[in-house]
Amino acid sequence: MSKARGRTLADRRFRFTSEDRWGYFFIFVAMAVFVMFTLYPVVSAVRTSFLKYKPFGSEFIGLKNYTDTFKSPLFYKAVWNTVLYTVVVVPLSLLIAFSIAIMILPFRKKTQSVFKSIYYLPGIASGVALSVVWLWLYDSSPDGLFNQVLMFFGIPAQNWLSSSKTSMLSLMLMAILSGQGSNIIIYIAALLGIDNSYFEAAELDGATFFQKVRYIVFPLVKPTTLFLLVTGIIGSFQVFQNAFMMTGGGPDNSTTMIGLLIYKNAFEYSKFGLACAQAILLAIVIALISLVQFRLMGADVEY
Amino acid sequence: MATTGLYSPHVNHPEKRIARNILLAVILILFALLTLFPIFYMIMSSFGPAVATAGTSRSIIPRVWTLDSYKAFFSFSKYSVRWIGNSLIVASATVVGNVIFASMAGYAFSKIRFKGRRWLFGLILVAMMIPYQVTQVPLYILIANKLHMTNTYAAMILPGVVTSYNIFLAKQFFTSIPTPLIESAKLDGCNQLGIFVRIVLPLSKTVLAVMAINTFLSSWNTFFWPFLVTSKDYMFTIQVGLKTFKFANETLFAPMMAGATLSALPMFILFFTLQKYFLEGVTIGAVKG
Amino acid sequence: MKKILALILALVMLFALAACGQQPAAQEPTEAPAEQPAEQPAEQPAEEEPTPDTITVMVPPVSGTYQDDIETWIADFTKLYPHLTVEVIKTSWDDHNGKLSTMANAGEAPDIAEVSYAAIGTYVELGVAVDIAQYMDPERLADYDQNALDYMSIENTVYGLPLYITIQALGANKEMLEAAGADVAKIQSEGWTYEEFLEVIKNGTTDDCFGFVFANAGVTASDFLNIFGVGAGLNNAFTDDLKYAYTSDNMLKLLEAVEDMTKSGYMPNYGVEAGQRMVMCQQGKAMIFGKAMPLFENNINKNNAALEANDGTAVENSIPVQYAFLPVPTMDGAEASCFGSVDGLIALRNNKTTDEHLKNVCLFMDYICSGERIAAVDQTLLLEPVCQTGRDAYISPEGLDEGNVASAARCIGLVVAPPAGVTAEQSAAAKTIMDEVIVPKFQALLAGEATAQEVYDALSTAAVEAFGADGCVSGTL
Repeated sequence: MSKARGRTLADRRFRFTSEDRWGYFFIFVAMAVFVMFTLYPVVSAVRTSFLKYKPFGSEFIGLKNYTDTFKSPLFYKAVWNTVLYTVVVVPLSLLIAFSIAIMILPFRKKTQSVFKSIYYLPGIASGVALSVVWLWLYDSSPDGLFNQVLMFFGIPAQNWLSSSKTSMLSLMLMAILSGQGSNIIIYIAALLGIDNSYFEAAELDGATFFQKVRYIVFPLVKPTTLFLLVTGIIGSFQVFQNAFMMTGGGPDNSTTMIGLLIYKNAFEYSKFGLACAQAILLAIVIALISLVQFRLMGADVEY
Repeated sequence: MATTGLYSPHVNHPEKRIARNILLAVILILFALLTLFPIFYMIMSSFGPAVATAGTSRSIIPRVWTLDSYKAFFSFSKYSVRWIGNSLIVASATVVGNVIFASMAGYAFSKIRFKGRRWLFGLILVAMMIPYQVTQVPLYILIANKLHMTNTYAAMILPGVVTSYNIFLAKQFFTSIPTPLIESAKLDGCNQLGIFVRIVLPLSKTVLAVMAINTFLSSWNTFFWPFLVTSKDYMFTIQVGLKTFKFANETLFAPMMAGATLSALPMFILFFTLQKYFLEGVTIGAVKG
Repeated sequence: MKKILALILALVMLFALAACGQQPAAQEPTEAPAEQPAEQPAEQPAEEEPTPDTITVMVPPVSGTYQDDIETWIADFTKLYPHLTVEVIKTSWDDHNGKLSTMANAGEAPDIAEVSYAAIGTYVELGVAVDIAQYMDPERLADYDQNALDYMSIENTVYGLPLYITIQALGANKEMLEAAGADVAKIQSEGWTYEEFLEVIKNGTTDDCFGFVFANAGVTASDFLNIFGVGAGLNNAFTDDLKYAYTSDNMLKLLEAVEDMTKSGYMPNYGVEAGQRMVMCQQGKAMIFGKAMPLFENNINKNNAALEANDGTAVENSIPVQYAFLPVPTMDGAEASCFGSVDGLIALRNNKTTDEHLKNVCLFMDYICSGERIAAVDQTLLLEPVCQTGRDAYISPEGLDEGNVASAARCIGLVVAPPAGVTAEQSAAAKTIMDEVIVPKFQALLAGEATAQEVYDALSTAAVEAFGADGCVSGTL
């Protein structure tokens, strides 16, 4: 008797219902991949960050990788560069994307699609090849294409990527000019979602175009803006490829951003432990930004 | 026709409307030219003579039109064609994996009430925020040192075969499918697999197409991971192959551009035939409600 | 639209199937046929039946044809040792070092890899470099010149075999040089001082021609430092008593000279891509260019021939140029010297390495570093072999400018080998300072955005931190 009762208790607590079994069946592959290729590496990264990593026999060195990081002027420079890049590129991108989206609006649907497609195109071409194209456009000799354009307008030729004054600016310009496709499309979708009655009411009140933008459009696309802002910030904290292909972080580390620094430490300077420690610091920063996102968006977006 | 009330229709002054639209069009076209210029330059250069950067003429339109650079691209390595094939294999397998397994997981998380689903899904959400820099080193050591998988397709495919983002995307979409539909199917004696295949999937073609396209695109253009896990030239993807045209001292500019144009071609074709899904894909998951 | 989608999905499935089908095949390199026939006969005779073994070797295009030649040599080698198979990993110069260090870190380094001597310390530190003397026939090791082997050694342990001593200095358009009042023959045979050099580039600068151009974009900035450094007495990062040499006054003097040069207007004040330097000379836009190697004579002669043939393969807007290979000028009474570096192959440990395997590895490494193989490489690079068997097989190339040949020979003789006894740790620290401080700061100096003093201060701070004040030279060398 007592045995049987014990079993029913155990049943209730530990036996899986058919619903459970189906659930686990459906997520099995996904979770296996997740555990193996995300969870395990993350745990392993934390472990590695406490090691002086060597392929055969790593040494445990405690927090040394972290203290080294905080002592390294290069780390602070990379953080500063990343913040600078983010603070310029992300808001400017949003402003441009928003303005373009607004300007596309009065056109026919077909025309809208054409523009959307054009702006989206750079996103589907090979990043490796495009970075080489840009490298060539930024050629700092007087024969360089951008320099020829500048000189045509009577502006002296620039040293673009070879000067620590303009190198970061050059990377920013490239990002701003070629990365707007999805932002524009998302903004257009958000703008089209605004109910026309708002504008009709404003029209009756004699609102000007800019008043309508200011008092109707801005508040209503705020969730979209916040979404783009946060994803933009997170993305730009990880930016790596263009600096890697075009400047290698130079000159004078003026384009060494945190993503590139981690790459270099890991794969050029053979400091896997240090790279992991810095990556974890980066993850913490990104987590904090995401937290702020949830706070800010709170009611607007639920996951 | 304006589709929004934001702009004044200028009913009484059509000329004002026309003038305004022309001005806007000019700005839009200027920005479009700026955006397209690098791609245009890439395509134009690919028809120029096959010389290294330093010797390249700086004219935007090649002075001599030739297919030499395409020939040079194909003869640069005996695996040039294989690189494109490799990319195709990797991207396709990644797409198949994601479409099947991410949608299955997404379905489970949204419609099956199993124990632990909340915190498991929470784990996946958290994973989306982890920068790839954290995982890149351990992942590389895992593939290279523990699994001995470098220079295999598996090494390039498996880590991305189901992404957290796609699970999230699928879950978001499936949540919008009315639950009674599923309940009634259950009463009809359908099991979960049957419901998923016969009812849910047919309703989700758009989201699956979007997922497939975006996954294909990002896999096709991904450079860093294949670059890490391949060292033999016959296993390169096209992006890694293109990088080999850039040397420390020199870049084989025109042949590289020829390769880049060829590698972009399938994407452009895909883009223009499936434009709707591409453009839709951007907004899915971004704008809700 | 649906049909297209279906079609694509079907295609995708097909490729997925293909992907799975091809996977096992991919493990076995498809390029194997060249080696396989040689493998078969091994099974028949064999008294002791040596166990089959596979050796991987990773090389960049050391010479223009190296990556093709090595296939031929491998075929020859496997005829001699049928139980061995050799796989080549071909890299580009751009990726080679990063790739190698990445693979070594993951414990899957190739058995043999090309490195410049300065990088050896990193691999010793990682614990993957192999003391090859243990696995090699001492007689074979004795074939290599001791001074070249010194480069491949750390703390008197030999980690690899040298391929060649490269020399890097300056190249010039000979006619222009003479027009600018330089005595080319004298410079080539006796060297010149920094003051004479400044005078010449000043005279050589016109409205559309720079007296001097040095590729300085990106990481090539370090070349400038290395090549001109020897002229200021900075031959190596460490002195004979193993102190860090770059903190000496010589360095400050060198940096000041570079600062003056960039401000002089005799050289471009913008970033010059590596590929452009020789093109500028060929187009008559620059008189002297660097860095330059003796082998550029071949490239320039080829372009001259193309110009003559007028077949459209010549560099656009180029003019016929007579190439002169020049030593770097010396500063303030420093001894004449030349920047040289030894590139070689080193043996590396991975997670499958055994002693037996290392013997095979060293056997093959010795094979491609010696005899006709190395002679062929040195002939295309116009460099002297650094082993006896190589010298025996070496045939001097013909039709070269005698002055250049003599100049190159003189420069090779001036190269100063690194001091013996530098530890792996010191060498790795020196490399870190080079990568993280000197190169970035030097880039700023070249762009006119840092003064010599600032660069020197940053360098000194980093060096004292790494080696301690006692470990660094102060004052003049």
